[in-house]
Amino acid sequence: MIDFSLQKTLSSAEGRLELDVKARLEKGQFISLYGVSGSGKTSLLRMLAGLMKPDKGAVIVNGTVWFDAAKKIDIDPQHRQIGFVFQDYALFPNMSVRENIAFGLNRNDPRHIVDELLELTGLTNLAGGKVQSLSGGQQQRVALARAIARRPSILLLDEPLSAVDNAMRVQLQGTLAEIHRRFALTTILVSHNEDEIIRLSDTVFQLEQGRFQQQAAPTEFFLNRQDAAVLTGNVVSVEANGSVVILLDNRMLRVDTAGEPFNIDDRVVLNCNNGVTTIRKL
Amino acid sequence: MMKTIFAILLLGLLSCQSPKKQQLTVAVAANMQYTIKELIAEFNKTDNTEIEVITGASGNLTQQIMGGAPFDIFVSADKQYPQELADKGFTLEAPKVYAQGQLVLWSARPGIEPQSDLQLLLNDSIKRIAIANPETAPYGHAAVSLLEKYGLYDKVQSKLVKGESITQASQFIATQNADIGFTAKAIVVSREMEGKGKWVDLNGNDYPAIEQSVALLKHAQQGNETAARKFYGFLYSPEAKAIYQKFGYLVK
Amino acid sequence: MIELAPLWLTLKLALSTTLILFVVAIPLATWFSGKKTALKVIIESIVTLPLVLPPTVIGFYLLVAFSPGNAFGKWLEHWTDIRLVFSFGGLLIASVVYSLPFMVHPVRSGLSSLPPSLKEAAYSLGKTKWQTLLKVLLPNIKPSLLTGLVLTFAHTVGEFGVVLMIGGNMPGKTRTASIAIYDEVQAFHYREANVYAVILLVLSFIILLIMYSFNGKMKQVKFY
Repeated sequence: MIDFSLQKTLSSAEGRLELDVKARLEKGQFISLYGVSGSGKTSLLRMLAGLMKPDKGAVIVNGTVWFDAAKKIDIDPQHRQIGFVFQDYALFPNMSVRENIAFGLNRNDPRHIVDELLELTGLTNLAGGKVQSLSGGQQQRVALARAIARRPSILLLDEPLSAVDNAMRVQLQGTLAEIHRRFALTTILVSHNEDEIIRLSDTVFQLEQGRFQQQAAPTEFFLNRQDAAVLTGNVVSVEANGSVVILLDNRMLRVDTAGEPFNIDDRVVLNCNNGVTTIRKL
Repeated sequence: MMKTIFAILLLGLLSCQSPKKQQLTVAVAANMQYTIKELIAEFNKTDNTEIEVITGASGNLTQQIMGGAPFDIFVSADKQYPQELADKGFTLEAPKVYAQGQLVLWSARPGIEPQSDLQLLLNDSIKRIAIANPETAPYGHAAVSLLEKYGLYDKVQSKLVKGESITQASQFIATQNADIGFTAKAIVVSREMEGKGKWVDLNGNDYPAIEQSVALLKHAQQGNETAARKFYGFLYSPEAKAIYQKFGYLVK
Repeated sequence: MIELAPLWLTLKLALSTTLILFVVAIPLATWFSGKKTALKVIIESIVTLPLVLPPTVIGFYLLVAFSPGNAFGKWLEHWTDIRLVFSFGGLLIASVVYSLPFMVHPVRSGLSSLPPSLKEAAYSLGKTKWQTLLKVLLPNIKPSLLTGLVLTFAHTVGEFGVVLMIGGNMPGKTRTASIAIYDEVQAFHYREANVYAVILLVLSFIILLIMYSFNGKMKQVKFY
């Protein structure tokens, strides 16, 4: 399992953020980190991977100390048994699909895992091709396969499905779940997509303003949310009888406005609670 | 703002044109670079024409003159280059010899004693011998002739380091990058090189006489011809001759 | 009279310089492309100096530094019997110093343009910094590497000022093609000068042609 307690001051264009988080993750769990952009999710992931150094704290994995600020221990990413999938995939353009996946293996390691992964991700036919010519979804699968070729115990994913269309997204979610199960991984996923969090995770951590605000199983998590911004959308058309048509993500909904005046392009918030839907301007 | 900057720059550029003063430009062979300073100082006692000096190897300067360089007078290190200029119509008068140059052997490295028989050049401790480029500098040509006469040229050829002019050759010697070398006497007796290393006169019969002549150039007609002719005449005067002798040249 | 020796010497100097710089410049460029520190800024400025300094300045300082009359030169001669002025070795050192920015800058530029996630991915897969450099980073900046190689080579071929200051015009050792041309012109041997010049011109042109046709084939990888 993973025990961590981390503090770091993060600077960004928006200003400074004090990250202060603490948690214990059980082995074999699928954990999601949820939060808005800039809440520190990616930084937290990178600190677990050893790509970013916390100011204070410790990370202990299965009894081994990966990081301890006080004792000046900081194991480099090379020696942490992790697989990392980057938001931009970070595939190596100078290598083929097969070479990318096999990159993490040492000279003496058996190669059959590469074929296994190619089959699992449906890329066997593309194995010899250059990664540049692949579609987004295919590249994502290569990144995934590459990350686990070394059979890490922990898989870290940084918004891996954000650049992919919905249909492909669902398919990749399935692949991800399959991999998590088959390789008995502990997986940490950073995402702001509720759909996929619900579908894949055992538990969700919400990161807000640098701290964990909530931790719960996904269904509970999204049901219990207090914040009013449940569904936000834009007004697409106003009808004569007082209804408006809202565009939410890629779905449209007709809502009765109880007479309140709305204009096209207004940004609105829908609150759905126990069968009652209220709408107000954002 | 930009217009102001531009205007200032333009003004600056225009004001860089030097006003027409009483000025002469004299091209001088490198071996004469220290001597010419004293000559000009002496000349300026009675004439306040400003004289600008350009130094270089005689061959280079001749090239430049043929290429249209704006020199009024050319003080060469030999007779041939001025003669060539005269033949090609670049001069106002036939060139005349003003002095005869002396070749010396000079070393700035401690422990090396230059000898006029040149045998020490064969020693292993002498690794680099500086001369001026024989193709463009008369003193370099004289040095090579001397070495050939003493039967040493083939043996020391691989040690020879050629400077672009007597100046660069002297630099190599003065900085000790060359162990020893051939230069003009006028260089080693100058105030600037006084006390630097040891030198020895070489036998004047063993190398072709370095007869140095002056060319009064056609370009002088475009500027101050009177002043040019006056300075030209001065270079053959008794006062000038005294200065040449002081710098080790032979005069008639 | 035309001898081919100056041309071979120029080629030898250019090739040696390029090879040495390829090895030396890559670690430097890698270091520079990392996090900025005060030391890095200083060293980077020093490395770039030859770009802005006239070659005669470099030549002058080398002349003084290598002189057996000065501390370093004396020490060098005493221990190794080597004198760097008037030698191919000295020219090579001068050349390496003088062309260093021409190799460092393109490589550094190339490395900086790679997304950091590329090397992070390699690290997460267990590869050391060196392995990452050799297997991932350098293969993905081939156009930059080629630019560095060609610029360095061409720049060395054209070297004149430094060679003039510390070469001593020794045939076979320091009389490079650029010096030979200068000499022939000074001696009024225009025909010979022209032959050397034309050969150098054609050589340079061919090199550039090759570089540009290669560059077309190696499309620079797009990163989003």
